[in-house]
Amino acid sequence: MPPKLCALCNTSRPILKRPKTGQQICKSCFFLVFETEVHNTITESQLFQSGDRVAIGASGGKDSTVLAHIMKTLNDRYNYGLDLFLLSIDEGITGYRDDSLETVKQNQKEYNLPLKILSYSELYGWTMDDIVAQVGRKNNCTFCGVFRRQALDRGAAMLGVDHIVTGHNADDVAETVLMNIMRGDIARLGRCTAICTQGEDTIKRSKPFKYTYEKEIVMYAYFKKLTYFSTECIYSPDAYRGHARTFLKDLEAARPSAIIDIIHSGEAFEIRDEVKRGQKLQQTCKRCGYMSSNDLCKACTLLEGLERGMANAGITDKGVKQLNAAGPTPDNLRTIPFFQMNTVGNSGPSPSPNPWPLDSGPSG
Amino acid sequence: MSCENPTTDPDALMNRRPKFDKAKTCIKCKIAEGNIVIRHAVYCKDCFFPLLKTKFKRSLEPFVNRLPNGPRKKALNPSGNLLIGFSGGLGSTVLLDLVHKSYFSHRKPRESGGEVEAVPEQQETGAGDRYRDPRQERVWKKAAVCYVEVAGAFPGMKDRTEDIQRIVESYDDFEFVPLKIEDAFNGEWWESVDQCPSSSLLNFDISNEELPFFQSDSTRLTPLERLHTYLSRLPSPTAIPSTIRTLTRLLLLYTAHSTSSSHLLLGTSLTSLSISLIASVAMGGGFGVSEEVQEEWIPPRSGIEGRKEVGVRVVRPLRDVVNKECATWAWWNGLTVVGQETVPGFKQTIGGLTKDFIIGLERDYPSTVSAIARTCGKLTPKDEAGGQCVMCQRPAQRGMEIWKQRISVRSLADLEEAPSGIPIGTQENQPSLSPYLCYACHATMTSKSSRANPSSTNGPKLPTSTSDSKTVSNLVPLPVWVTARLFGPADKVQAEDPSREGSGDALRDGEVWRNVELGREEMRTAVKDFLLDQDE
Amino acid sequence: MLTISLKIEFAGGLELLFSNQRSHRISIPSNPASTPNEPPKRADITYLIHWLKDNLLKERVELFIENGTVRPGILVLVNDTDWELEGEGSYELMDGDEIVFISTLHGG
Repeated sequence: MPPKLCALCNTSRPILKRPKTGQQICKSCFFLVFETEVHNTITESQLFQSGDRVAIGASGGKDSTVLAHIMKTLNDRYNYGLDLFLLSIDEGITGYRDDSLETVKQNQKEYNLPLKILSYSELYGWTMDDIVAQVGRKNNCTFCGVFRRQALDRGAAMLGVDHIVTGHNADDVAETVLMNIMRGDIARLGRCTAICTQGEDTIKRSKPFKYTYEKEIVMYAYFKKLTYFSTECIYSPDAYRGHARTFLKDLEAARPSAIIDIIHSGEAFEIRDEVKRGQKLQQTCKRCGYMSSNDLCKACTLLEGLERGMANAGITDKGVKQLNAAGPTPDNLRTIPFFQMNTVGNSGPSPSPNPWPLDSGPSG
Repeated sequence: MSCENPTTDPDALMNRRPKFDKAKTCIKCKIAEGNIVIRHAVYCKDCFFPLLKTKFKRSLEPFVNRLPNGPRKKALNPSGNLLIGFSGGLGSTVLLDLVHKSYFSHRKPRESGGEVEAVPEQQETGAGDRYRDPRQERVWKKAAVCYVEVAGAFPGMKDRTEDIQRIVESYDDFEFVPLKIEDAFNGEWWESVDQCPSSSLLNFDISNEELPFFQSDSTRLTPLERLHTYLSRLPSPTAIPSTIRTLTRLLLLYTAHSTSSSHLLLGTSLTSLSISLIASVAMGGGFGVSEEVQEEWIPPRSGIEGRKEVGVRVVRPLRDVVNKECATWAWWNGLTVVGQETVPGFKQTIGGLTKDFIIGLERDYPSTVSAIARTCGKLTPKDEAGGQCVMCQRPAQRGMEIWKQRISVRSLADLEEAPSGIPIGTQENQPSLSPYLCYACHATMTSKSSRANPSSTNGPKLPTSTSDSKTVSNLVPLPVWVTARLFGPADKVQAEDPSREGSGDALRDGEVWRNVELGREEMRTAVKDFLLDQDE
Repeated sequence: MLTISLKIEFAGGLELLFSNQRSHRISIPSNPASTPNEPPKRADITYLIHWLKDNLLKERVELFIENGTVRPGILVLVNDTDWELEGEGSYELMDGDEIVFISTLHGG
C-alpha cells in the first residue's frame, strides 16, 4: 500500500492526526492551519486596531505560553501593528507561582515583550499567605478568585492597555456553555460564547483561542518545543465544572466535532427579551469603582473584612451580618485603590493605601 | 476568572440538599404520612394522583385552542383531531393513560382485568374540573395513537408492534396507527399521507462534505434496504439514534397531518426533555432549542393545487413530570410498560452519554434537571431563520457553511482566498444538499467519529448496506420528504430558499476539492497518540 | 440463625435480569454479619441488594448495581413507600416486608 500523504499539501508524510478535523497532516501544515485559524478568528471579529496596546494574561501555563507565541508571530507576520505586553499576577503563595512566573519571565526574553507582574500585596496589601494566616485554609480561595479577576483588569489599567487577551480555548468555552445551562445562569450563558466581552467599566477581554482545541494547543507547544509549567487544578466532584468537564471529554471521544458543535449552539441562541428585562443591573462599587451588582464590590467587602478582623464577611451570611452589626467602616482602613479606565496611556491608579476619601460605608 | 474551586465560589458547588425537608408528612394534605418524595417534596398516595393530573393538564390545556386564552378561561376547542405519539416507553404509557382518563372515558382499561363499567371520577381540585362535565361532548372527537416500529433497522431486534397494539386497544376510543421506520423511504406511504409522489429518487454522496446529490435510476431497492444503506453509511455511531429520532418525528408529523390532527402529543418527561436538550446542544442544535420543547409544524407546500395546509401543534404534557413520577403513576395504576428497544451501541453515542449523565445527576441533584429545562425555556434563536432544513423541517440558520470554513481550515485552497461561502468541492452544475440543511443535520451526515461502530456478539446488530453497485459505496438514498422538497412533481429542482444567501447559480461555481478518505482509528487521549511517527 | 421472609417485585424491565420473573418470595438472614469480627447487625436494604445480586441476578450486574447501591434511574419502594422516606439503604428489614424495584430506564 503506498504511503499516505498529508491531506493538505499532498506532498509530505503526515505525522499527526488533527483532533479537530481528523485530517492526517504533516508538521508544517499543522502549524500553518493552527496559526491561520487563529488569524481568521482575530480578523473576522475585528478584535484589534493598529496601535492597540494589548496585554496577554500570562500564567505560565500552556494556554498563555502558546498564546504569547502566537500573538507575537501573527502580529509580526500580518502586521497587526499591536503593542504587546505580558501581564502576570502574583498571588503571593510561596512555592505555587514561583515556577510559573519563571516561565513567564522566560517568555518575556524569548519574545522580547515587556512584562508586568502585579502582586496581591501591591494591589490589596495582602498576599495569599497573609490571608491564609488570617482566615485559615477553608475560605482562602474565595479571596483568591475574587482578587484575581480584578487584578488582571487593574494591572491592565496600570499598563495603560486597551485590551486583554486570555488563553481560554474551545474546550473551556464549551464547558462553560454546558455548565451555565446546568446551573441556570442565564446571564453568563448569554455572554460566554462572545469572543470579546466588555463591560462599561472594564477593559475589553478577548479569547483568540475560542475555536482552538485544547489538545491542539498542547500539540503545537509540543512540536514547537515551547516550555510551560502546568499547575493542574483538581476540582472536587461536587463542582459544576468538574461534572461538565468529564461529560465534555466523553462527548469529544464520541464525536470530536462536539466541542465546536456546542460552541455553535451557544452562539445560536440568546436570552428572550422578557427575561433580559428582569436581569439585575450592573452598577459600580462606591468605594473602588469596579463593576458590581451591589453598592460595594465583592473585593472591597472581602478586604474590609480582612482589615477589621472579620474574615467571614462577604463569604457567609453570618459574616455579612457580623460586619454590618459592627458599625460603619472606620476611616483609616486600607482600601483598594480607585479603579479608573485610562483614556490614553495614563498610568492608572497609584497603589497606596487610602488614596480616596470614603463615603458612607457599607449599606446597612 | 475564578478558578471555580468549590471552596471559593458558593455557586460553583452544586447543592446537595437532604432528600426531603423536615417531616415525612404529606405537604399537601398535611395529614397522611408520605409515600413518595418528588424533588424534595413529600406526598401521600392520595394526593399524588390529582397532583400529577393537574400538572399534566396545566402543560396541555393552555395550548389546546388555536389562540392563547385571554383573561377568561375559554372552553377547550381544538381545531382538529388528536394524535398521540407512542413509543412504548414509560412516558408514552403514562401519557396515554392520562389522556384517556382526562378526556375520553371513565371506564377502566380492560387490561387490568376489571369489568367495563363506569367508575366515579376521583375527587380533584383545580379548575380542570370545569371541563369534566359529562353532558358536554368530548374535547377531541377523534383520537389516534401512532407507533413507529424501529426493529426493521436493526437485524435481530424484536418487533413490538403486537404488544403495543394490545396496550393501545385496551383503551376504548383510540385508533391504532402502526408505522415502520422504513416508511421514511417508501413512496407508497408518502402517497397514503396525501402527499404528491416524486417521479424520481435521489441519492447523495455522503463522503463529500458538500453532499452533492444525483438522480437515481434504480428503484430496485426496497424501502428497508434503502434504510439500511442510509444508516450503515452515516459517519459516526452518534448519527444513528439521532437519525432515527428525526425520521420518527417526521413520520409522526405527516401522520398527524393526514389524520387531520391539530395536536400531536408526545410523552416526553422532564427528565427526557433535559436529556434531549443537552444532547441537542452537544450536536450543534442550539438554534432549535426552543423547538425541542414545543413546536408548530406546517407541512411544506405539497404541490397539490388548492390545498390549504393546516398546522400541527406538538405538545409535551409531561414536560414538568420527572421519570420517577411517571414510574410511580404506572406502578400504582397497574399499567404495563412495554418499553423501548435499545439501539445497539447507544451507550457510546452522544445521546447515550447524555442520558447516563443526566440520570446520574438527577438522583443526587434533582434540581439540576429542572434547571436545564428552565434555562433552555428562556432561550430563543439569535438570528432569523434562513429557511427550513429539508431533513428535519425545523428552522435553519444562515451562513452555516461560511462559519464552518472559517473555523476549520480543511484545504490549502481555503488559505488563498477569504472564505466565501461558495460550496467548494462540487463540480459545475452539481447541486448539493448542504445549503438546505440545518447545522445539526449537516453534522449528523458529515461529522466523523474515530470510533468504529460497535459490534455486538448477541443482540440486535447495526445494519449493513445494500449497494446498487459495488463501486459506488458512498451513495445514500434520501427520505421521501427530502426528495419531494428538492424535486417537485414537475421534476425540477424547486427547493425553497437555501439556508444561505445567494442564488442557485452560486452552486455551480466551485473548485474541485481534494479529499483523502479517512479510515476510522481509535483516538487515544494523550497527545502522543496522535502522532503517527515519533519525530524526536 | 433467624430468617425473615420478604416479597420482592421487579418492574420496568428489571425482571428480565431476574429470570424474567416479576415476583419473588425470599428468605434472608435477619442478622447477617459481614465479617466474622463484626457484630451482627440487622439486615438492611443495602444488604438485600447485594443478596439479590449474589443469589437471584442472572445477568448484567451493572444494570442493577452501581457503586454499592442501585443504579441511578431505579426507584425503590418499601411497603408502597419511597425508600428515601425510610432511610434508603439503611432501612432495616422486617419480616413480611414488600420491596419493589422499578426501573425508569426502559431500554434505550
